[in-house]
Amino acid sequence: MDQRNNRLGWLFTSPYLIYSLIFFFGPLVWSFFLSITDWNLIAPTFNFVGLHNFMNGLRSPGVHAAFWVTYKFMMVFVPIVTVLAIAVAVLVHGLTRFKGLFLIGFFLPYLSSGVVSSLIVKGLLSYNSPINTFLRGVGIDIDWLGTPLSALFIVGLILAWKFTGYYALILTSGLESIDKEVYEAAAIDGVKDSQRFWRITLPLLYPALYTTLILAFGVTFGIFTEVYQLTGGGPDNATNTWQMEIFKQAFTNLQAGYASAVALLASVATFISIFVIRKILEIWGKRNGWV
Amino acid sequence: MKKKQLVSLLLTGMMTTGILSACSTGQDTTQNGDTSTNAGGGAGGGGVTTIEFWAAPNPTQQAFWQEMAKNYEATNPNVKINVSAMKESPTSEAGIQAAIAAKSAPTMSENINRGFAAQLADSKALVPLDTLDGFQDIVSERNMSSTIGPWKFADGHQYVLPIYSNAMLFGWRLDTLKELGYSEPPKTYGEILELTKKLKAKYGDKKFLWAKADLADPTAWKRWFDFYMLYDAASNGNKFIEGDKFTGDDKAGQEVLTFVDDLRKEKGLLARQTTDPFENGVGTFVDIGPWTFTTWAQKYPNLKYNVNYALTMPPVPDDVDPAKSKTFADTKGLVIYASATKAQQEAAVGFIKWVYSDAKNDAAWFQQTMLPPARDDLTSNAAFKTILDQNPQLKPYAENVPNAIPPMDNAKYNDLQTIIGEQAFNKVVKGEISPADGWANMKKAIEDALK
Repeated sequence: MDQRNNRLGWLFTSPYLIYSLIFFFGPLVWSFFLSITDWNLIAPTFNFVGLHNFMNGLRSPGVHAAFWVTYKFMMVFVPIVTVLAIAVAVLVHGLTRFKGLFLIGFFLPYLSSGVVSSLIVKGLLSYNSPINTFLRGVGIDIDWLGTPLSALFIVGLILAWKFTGYYALILTSGLESIDKEVYEAAAIDGVKDSQRFWRITLPLLYPALYTTLILAFGVTFGIFTEVYQLTGGGPDNATNTWQMEIFKQAFTNLQAGYASAVALLASVATFISIFVIRKILEIWGKRNGWV
Repeated sequence: MKKKQLVSLLLTGMMTTGILSACSTGQDTTQNGDTSTNAGGGAGGGGVTTIEFWAAPNPTQQAFWQEMAKNYEATNPNVKINVSAMKESPTSEAGIQAAIAAKSAPTMSENINRGFAAQLADSKALVPLDTLDGFQDIVSERNMSSTIGPWKFADGHQYVLPIYSNAMLFGWRLDTLKELGYSEPPKTYGEILELTKKLKAKYGDKKFLWAKADLADPTAWKRWFDFYMLYDAASNGNKFIEGDKFTGDDKAGQEVLTFVDDLRKEKGLLARQTTDPFENGVGTFVDIGPWTFTTWAQKYPNLKYNVNYALTMPPVPDDVDPAKSKTFADTKGLVIYASATKAQQEAAVGFIKWVYSDAKNDAAWFQQTMLPPARDDLTSNAAFKTILDQNPQLKPYAENVPNAIPPMDNAKYNDLQTIIGEQAFNKVVKGEISPADGWANMKKAIEDALK
């Protein structure tokens, strides 16, 4: 019986395993092969260059920028999206009617094209837009996309706008799963309304919050469309993300080998960063007795 | 039990086959059809040679080539030409690179700039056109000997047949100039600086001389439309890089950077994101290609040539004759891929020869795309007279085809042009470096990159 179940298990998981083999493991091996060559994919000949591409990557200002810009985006995007998502989730959870409708409304930006939202923002922030004309009239003149800090904030805000609804959806389901009796028991024990969120809701929401935080940190390693459309990685590499750097090297400079090395460096940075962040979140949760 | 296992096995098999077949591009069947035997199409059993032609991803260009292919097939039944739009995922260059890597490159394609052609030629992916029988006939019959001259690569071969050549020009807002007391655009750096002072005195932060976010953007191709236009004019068309050598004209280069720096000091530059600055009157001067007029006809029909805007060749330093100004050639051409069979290469040359043996076809191209054919006789050949009379704004482009310098033929052109921006041009625009230091840093970085 066990052997039969075992076979059936393999049988039914085999499509996914084959899929992974073709679309994940295969490209990974291929990418590693490319990263140790100087091949541009089309030349009839190429050389094995060992770790040369990796060393070049580690010395490249573009890669240095991509490494630090990711953490800068984290500092902007994660707090904003988390606070907004919790706020939306709590507000929607408190509604007695049309919960679904509101959630869909907040979720829509997630489905919208990053290209479209970026172009709208580009228009709104252009020098001769009504907003900037008004601001100049009152003595404020900011080069929104040409100043490193504001460019970083704008991309972070667009992403926060996009992901708030999605994370709110996850957090709402987390809130829905909290037993009402817990609140009733807390009320009997004398927990005030103002303490309810910090003492009951947040701890019980932690598993869902943990998920959204990990997802949000992960997003910062894959930022591309908004940066590509709005800043092209500038000014002075201030918004040059990993994906932007890989795109430039692979599709503009046609350096497939070097781009693969950068992609692998990005994977390592992502893996280590997410691992560390996960551990910190776990320790934080345990220390507070939330998990 | 056995039946259940059999059903499970069959299901899994079907799913796996489904996944694997989904991975297939199906190119073998669609490209080869009945008559071809290889990826790019080829000679078939019925004596028909199939060639794949990738047109630029632009409906007017695609329509032109489809019509040409249909007409050619009507009189040459032994050749079948499949015209399709070049894939742009994520860029047309990357689409071509992917196709070559996947061994599904077309026989020929248009929309290739000289820099990208250099990358392809460097990877032995292109056929040197001058080695094919009939190529010289195309050059002489199309009357393009002068225009194609600068296209010769450092190795002495011609890899690209230029189709169109946009001699990039600068546009001037005549209405703004008139308000400042000018009846025609200035032509030298000194005159432009004087105009900028008057412009700023009258309009403050409402108008600028050159308003364009690209001025501060290091993306390689953006230098074609600022630095190179000015540099070609200041240096009498110096090649800047020839083969693997930096041959830039130090004096001309520093003069260009100093001019830009002077404009910055006068607050004449606006390197910020601005919605259609020239069209909305925020900018007074801007680089313009002939493709712009189609957009203007729909979006800004109020802009009329020689009424509220004028076109000129790039300005020159005060000691240079403006009449001798050169400019950058935004130009793209046609290539034949090395993966094509001999039969396909011959068929491709036959098709190109047929298209360009009749000036009417170039006239049809000009009429449909508004892109000036790369010919020496654009202003003298009667075939183009009607189009130029109907579109007078295209005349200066046609007149200056021989004065336009194509991009460098170095395979590292992306890196090299990024250096121009990062080390010199963008920094000068932002006031972060002196023109002399910017030029020196750029020169050193380019020389290092060329090693």
